[in-house]
Amino acid sequence: MPNPSLIRDLSRVVGRKLVLHEPEDLLVYEYDATIERGLPEAVVVPDSADQVAEVVRIARRHNAPVTARGAGTGLSGGAIPCDGGIVIVTSRMNRILEVDADNRIAIVEPGVINQDITDAVSGHGLYYAPDPSSQKVCTIGGNVAENAGGPHCLRYGTTTNHVLGLEIVTPDGDLVWLGGKTVDPPGYDLTGLVVGSEGTICIVTKVIVRLMDCPQSTVTLLAIFDEVDQASHAVSAIIGQGIIPAALEMMDRNTMRAVEEAVQAGYPPDAGAVLLIEVDGLEEETREQADSVRAVCEELGSRELRIGFSAEDRERLWAGRKGALGALGRLAPSYYILDGVVPRSKLPAVLRGVYEACDTFGFQVANVFHAGDGNLHPNIMFDERVPGATQRVLDLGEVIMRLCVEAGGTITGEHGVGYEKRNYMSWIFSEDDLDVMASIKLAFGATDLFNPGKVFPSSKGCGEVSSRMKAAIAKVGPDAYV
Amino acid sequence: MVKQASLLSQLQAIVGADGVRRDDELSNFAVDGLTPQAAVAPSSYEQVAEVLRYAHTEGLAVIPRGGGTHMHIGNVPGRYDIGLSLLRLDQVVEHEPADLTVTCQAGITLDRLQRHLGQHGQLVPLDPAWGEETTIGGILAANASGPSRHAYGAPRDFTIGLKVVTADGRITKAGGRVVKNVAGYDLCKLYIGSLGTLGVIVEAGFKLAPTPKVERTVIATFDTPGQACAFAADLQHRRLSLRAVQLLNATAASAVGLAQQGLCALVLDLAGTPQAVERSRREIGELAQDAAADLRDEENAAMAWQSRMRPGSAEEPYLLCKAATLPTHLPALIESLETVAGPPHILALPTVGVLYASWPRLEDAEAAIGRLRTAVTALDGSLVLERCPLDIKPRLDVFGDPPPSFDLMRRVKEQFDPKGVLSPGRQVGRL
Ligand SMILES: Cc1cc2nc3c(=O)[nH]c(=O)nc-3n(C[C@H](O)[C@H](O)[C@H](O)COP(=O)(O)OP(=O)(O)OC[C@H]3O[C@@H](n4cnc5c(N)ncnc54)[C@H](O)[C@@H]3O)c2cc1C
Repeated sequence: MPNPSLIRDLSRVVGRKLVLHEPEDLLVYEYDATIERGLPEAVVVPDSADQVAEVVRIARRHNAPVTARGAGTGLSGGAIPCDGGIVIVTSRMNRILEVDADNRIAIVEPGVINQDITDAVSGHGLYYAPDPSSQKVCTIGGNVAENAGGPHCLRYGTTTNHVLGLEIVTPDGDLVWLGGKTVDPPGYDLTGLVVGSEGTICIVTKVIVRLMDCPQSTVTLLAIFDEVDQASHAVSAIIGQGIIPAALEMMDRNTMRAVEEAVQAGYPPDAGAVLLIEVDGLEEETREQADSVRAVCEELGSRELRIGFSAEDRERLWAGRKGALGALGRLAPSYYILDGVVPRSKLPAVLRGVYEACDTFGFQVANVFHAGDGNLHPNIMFDERVPGATQRVLDLGEVIMRLCVEAGGTITGEHGVGYEKRNYMSWIFSEDDLDVMASIKLAFGATDLFNPGKVFPSSKGCGEVSSRMKAAIAKVGPDAYV
Repeated sequence: MVKQASLLSQLQAIVGADGVRRDDELSNFAVDGLTPQAAVAPSSYEQVAEVLRYAHTEGLAVIPRGGGTHMHIGNVPGRYDIGLSLLRLDQVVEHEPADLTVTCQAGITLDRLQRHLGQHGQLVPLDPAWGEETTIGGILAANASGPSRHAYGAPRDFTIGLKVVTADGRITKAGGRVVKNVAGYDLCKLYIGSLGTLGVIVEAGFKLAPTPKVERTVIATFDTPGQACAFAADLQHRRLSLRAVQLLNATAASAVGLAQQGLCALVLDLAGTPQAVERSRREIGELAQDAAADLRDEENAAMAWQSRMRPGSAEEPYLLCKAATLPTHLPALIESLETVAGPPHILALPTVGVLYASWPRLEDAEAAIGRLRTAVTALDGSLVLERCPLDIKPRLDVFGDPPPSFDLMRRVKEQFDPKGVLSPGRQVGRL
């Protein structure tokens, strides 16, 4: 039950209208794009870093945990307030504060939508490189918290490679700058530490991002294969040629089937997999690389190759990939997106293992993923109205994560540990390893204030799933995905 | 304080007789003029851990080192009892060419690792100075980088995993062996550049790059650093196939014979696919003509590389600083550094926003350093004195004033090394 004096204190900072505490107003903040739920006591929508700092100080006084929330597109339960408390929503902190085109940097507030940065700087021939598939809605604050990746991170790296400095609110409610506009600041790289810390040690209130020069030329190839195995061998072979494409994505048969129905991308119904390969750079470079990629794919049995040079043609080749998640909604009432990484050379074997596991559990799976990085995204399709289905899907997810770890990989490449995978952490990290990580929390003084119940192993459950909630979930459903 | 004799016998019990360095070798382990009581070279991670457990129990200060090429970076140690050489941990642990990743031990030299990878047409994108001696662990601890960071970024950008022995002697890991990984806090970032104050790096994994198919070097000369920087910015904007862009001021350029007296030199290393390099070379030629800059191909690129790679002159410079600023502020920074004291040798990375300035000798160094700091601060930059005369070094923080986040840094150090066992005092603010 919301504590009236907490609500009063919060209202004094941001105004009464921007503190939500009525049950029906809180519903929307109970979930992100995953399965778990948790209800906050209050939701605040601050407008400035100072207000965030003030809210944190109030939370401390009231002993209420704080969970930051961007767009709520997270796929590991990161923005779900497991222990209730206060949710800070960054949607009003969405200003691009400075663009310095000559030095290729921008300073933005955490609620700025990823795509909006590129839109704001494209006039200078620049762009912001990390491009999670959710980039039209997800926030830079959420990207920083998760160290978000995306299709083009193969060549250009993930969020952490593009963040130079951060303004944060510490658990003491202090505003502190980490890093800055210039490289190699003296002392420890706390900026690098905060990126990927999933909102558990501080709240990010400003981000200095690095911008990149747009490439002169981009060429997109789509290679169609009969078998997934051929396609995954082609992934290693392309990299083995000394080519690091800007993006190298794969979709399997089930994905293609769904995409075909939704956007008519022209995929042959009997094909086993497609690779979407993009190379960028100077015209000469992209031509040379596209030739090599084509040769590799043909040698490895690609039955058809399409190539796009113009923006429109390339857009058409990407349409299937971009519409994939939305299209999957047609195959089943719900799907569960997994995120694991394996060494590229292990892709064929691990993919085979994924299909086998799904067969054993009796679920259909559609794979659409960042193949060049070895970053798998099996999407398991299910109907959560079937009793026990949700639990079995979670169990299957666990089996697949095990496959990744046994192949020398990891339990998450970009979606984060969050609530969902916290108990898998001990598969890859020893107690000592986790102990060192936990000492970071101590150093920040964040023990249980920020986003409790996340990242670290714990047997404590998250929130409850009420039947009213079920209705809300059903309403959002898979079509809420971009 | 333990007696040296008992210290030696304890250490010998851990690393064996061949792991303990003789007394007459101890001077090789000196850091800023301080010589340790003992020095060891463990041959396994477990031995490193045991040495640290022992030091931790006894409260002895340990300074890890690799090839010793970057030991001049950091404040004068507060204490120093045991030198810890990683040179015997020098193996490639795992290299799967198809994965384009490598895992190696910290004591392997950069050149040896590159030779191994080169056989497979791959490289680790690191090129700081002294590759034949400098070790992977040392490079990471010092966050050292070279000119190719223009294309590949700094060590933080491609290090995917570390094994680190903690101050109390536990072998821990951060990251993993795959190129994308967000499981848990990214501790790799914290250890990189920590100067051995948070843990001892014993193993590291990297994302690799394919060896470029074609490489060549061209040198353009300009009247002023401003012109050279503008030229560099233009090339960057065109995304030509450049691996490195280095600017030598007139003093540095003439010292290594890259430019006529009074001109500064922009050294452009092209790398990539054959036609892209060809086209880049052509375009640079045209732009140089427009800019009225002299341009020539450098035949003996490897030679020029060697001579440029060591910032400063062949003899050890008296003072060597690293400054970082916004790329657009570089010309102004170079100009003011040139007037603050005697003529410096300056090697700048104009597209990155970093420069190294060195002075072979200086009158009243302390006053000059004060003026350097003022000049850099005026341009919102940072300044680290990488090499500094020992008579004044103990009085200075070579990193300058502690940053706004210093309190958090101090708390991190306290958590990681509560007894101050690891390289005490070497980091900013004497952490
Ligand atoms: C259809 C779809 C496609 C996706 N594709 C990708 C992809 O290609 N690559 C990828 O990496 N991810 C992808 N995601 C996952 C998700 O979009 C990213 O994790 C994104 O970074 C989350 O941003 P958000 O603003 O929605 O954050 P939220 O979900 O609101 O929050 C995520 C985490 O960030 C924390 N947080 C938010 N703001 C702050 C702040 N200011 N300070 C501190 N912590 C904060 C939250 O507490 C939470 O832990 C996808 C998701 C969907 C639904």
